[in-house]
Amino acid sequence: MIKICHLYPELLNLYGDRGNIIAFVRRCQWRGVDVTTREANLGDPVDFSDTDFLFLGGGSDREQDLIAGDIKRRRAELRSAIENGLVVLAICGGYQLLGQYYRTGDGRVIPGLGLLDFYTEAGGKRLLGNVVIEVMLDGALVRVYGFENHSGRTFLGETEPLGKVLAGNGNNGCDGWEGARYKNVFCSYLHGPLLPKNAGLTDHLIALALKRRGLDLPLIPLDDRFEKRACKVLQDRLL
Amino acid sequence: MPSVKTAKVCYITGGTAPIKRIMAIAAGKFVCWLSRLSGNQGSSLPGLVARRICPGILVELAAQVHRGVVMITGTNGKTTTGNMIAGVLLAAGYKVINNREGANLITGVTASFVRKSSLWGKIDCDYAVLEVDEASFPGVTAEVRPQIVVLTNFFRDQLDRYWEVDKIVGLINTALQKLPGTRLVLNADDPLAAQFREKTGLSCTFYGLGGFERRSGTGDRVREARFCPFCGAPLVYDNFYYSQLGIYKCSGCPFVRPEAQVEATEIVLGPSSTTSMVVYDHSRVLLTVPAHGLHNLYNALAAFSAGSALKIGIESIVRALENYVPVSGRMEAFIYHGKPVYLNLVKNPAGFNEGLAALLNGKERSKDVLLAINDLDADGRDISWLWDVDFEVLAETGRLSFFCTGRRGEEMALRLKYAGISTDRIGLSRDMRAAIRKALAGTGEKVYLYTTYTALWPARKILSRMAVKGNYDQNLPSLS
Repeated sequence: MIKICHLYPELLNLYGDRGNIIAFVRRCQWRGVDVTTREANLGDPVDFSDTDFLFLGGGSDREQDLIAGDIKRRRAELRSAIENGLVVLAICGGYQLLGQYYRTGDGRVIPGLGLLDFYTEAGGKRLLGNVVIEVMLDGALVRVYGFENHSGRTFLGETEPLGKVLAGNGNNGCDGWEGARYKNVFCSYLHGPLLPKNAGLTDHLIALALKRRGLDLPLIPLDDRFEKRACKVLQDRLL
Repeated sequence: MPSVKTAKVCYITGGTAPIKRIMAIAAGKFVCWLSRLSGNQGSSLPGLVARRICPGILVELAAQVHRGVVMITGTNGKTTTGNMIAGVLLAAGYKVINNREGANLITGVTASFVRKSSLWGKIDCDYAVLEVDEASFPGVTAEVRPQIVVLTNFFRDQLDRYWEVDKIVGLINTALQKLPGTRLVLNADDPLAAQFREKTGLSCTFYGLGGFERRSGTGDRVREARFCPFCGAPLVYDNFYYSQLGIYKCSGCPFVRPEAQVEATEIVLGPSSTTSMVVYDHSRVLLTVPAHGLHNLYNALAAFSAGSALKIGIESIVRALENYVPVSGRMEAFIYHGKPVYLNLVKNPAGFNEGLAALLNGKERSKDVLLAINDLDADGRDISWLWDVDFEVLAETGRLSFFCTGRRGEEMALRLKYAGISTDRIGLSRDMRAAIRKALAGTGEKVYLYTTYTALWPARKILSRMAVKGNYDQNLPSLS
């Protein structure tokens, strides 16, 4: 049984984010893996050590302000779960939240959770459009497709990037990197949403979650023709 | 956010040089004629050309409207509501300018005036009824002063262009602050629209639904306003229609769904019409709108409210609304070899969910469904909104066959697969003509076509060649 926790679904739910949960759940179910999804909103108790997959989506500025206080109270517990291999996917606003800080246009510094080493600065023009990146999964380079829409520019410190930009802007439009990755934490600006089209990445997250439960087995392959066709549209257009 | 350019107004210095004005109008009309000739809808290009030549053209033309300007903005229902209001005014004997086809940026608004203008720049009309794009509202109201502004609703829409709903609400509020004396017509059931009474202090007419129990399951998920726009506390719903529309009150402050001056009760949803008893001003009147769905009832109530605010007689309003003819792509009816076909434009999750509700109604054994999804600028380049549409409810009925097409038909097919619909019920074709032909030739008793904005005209063109326009239900012999 895999336990999913969708954190702040009422507040962080821009850009079809729930598609990520749908994809994760379906790909478990299609393989006969039991899965439960729990939605945790402001103030709801969450036991991160008893969670297998944590999802954080994107939100507007107002919504991110609302959750800042709430998530801070969960920091210590979240940190130890991450160190113990909790599988996390954080998109856009959820991604920015895990870093050191966010510097606004007027120079105000809003501290982040500081769980990963990167920071974000407000930028002028929004970075917007279809994106292709290349991600290393289990020793193989895999292309990951999505759509980005962010004005924040993220710069990585010690934390590794999720992948290399093949088309689009990525973290900041200059250094060619997209997202961040630490242990089993995956951060990205890509929505679209990210997981449904990118079956390889989804399966990688499922495998990591199962492995943490002691089930280190290869996943049953699924028929991914629809996923491949959806990716091919972007591949033909962008690469 | 598109930058809002205010025209350098030439009327301050005694008006545009007449020759410039004539050139602008002549060029605009010429472009109009050209684009009609080539079979395009091209409803905003004439405005663009005319504004290039004479930036103050809209200010000059709009100032000549005799009685007043009604503007309609909000996420969904602008075109239908605008056309219903124009219909009400026309039936009352007024001359009306109306951007009927939904060209609702400042160029489209300008084009609708240029088209009705004489070559010398004279306009002879009583009312202008203008649907205005939310992001263009500040720019348009800087040039044209509305007497009445209708705010229909606020849902998430094309996030890559407009970002979050919050920003749109803020933008419209700022523009309204500069328009004292304007009357607002507001959807009481949408907290995001209703908040404008307190935000602006303007006089308001509210419309809404009274006592309706929602049965179908679409539209329950994405709600914009779970939280009070004033204090941020969660909103509590006594009754809930779709998205965030319903009877709500704030759990933290006095904000509550306002009392509606125009309220629909005893609602009966039919396959191609909606009947209700409208309660207004201590009276009641039976209203049958020849269009399906709660969203169209809301549109009709908005038009009812605007009409009564303009002192049009109630009987005249009701008659006009009952004669309403849906515009292209709003559940527009066709017949293919004796079988009803409906063409419907979809732009955002709330509208799509309302459109899908039609698939769950009715007693037909099976239906064929075509989905044409493009991702050009006018559609929204980001198609992630498809994942906020409740396709899951369709998986429970095994009586639907799907055909996906358009620039992102593959993504649509993927969405259906993850909604739990069996992949052998999902067809996919890059060729829209072939896809439409397959949907029409399917075994279903009805066919529904859902298309995004730029796929609508191509789909309509193809459909018009294969099927005849007309309403199947109205062709049936009357039983009474």
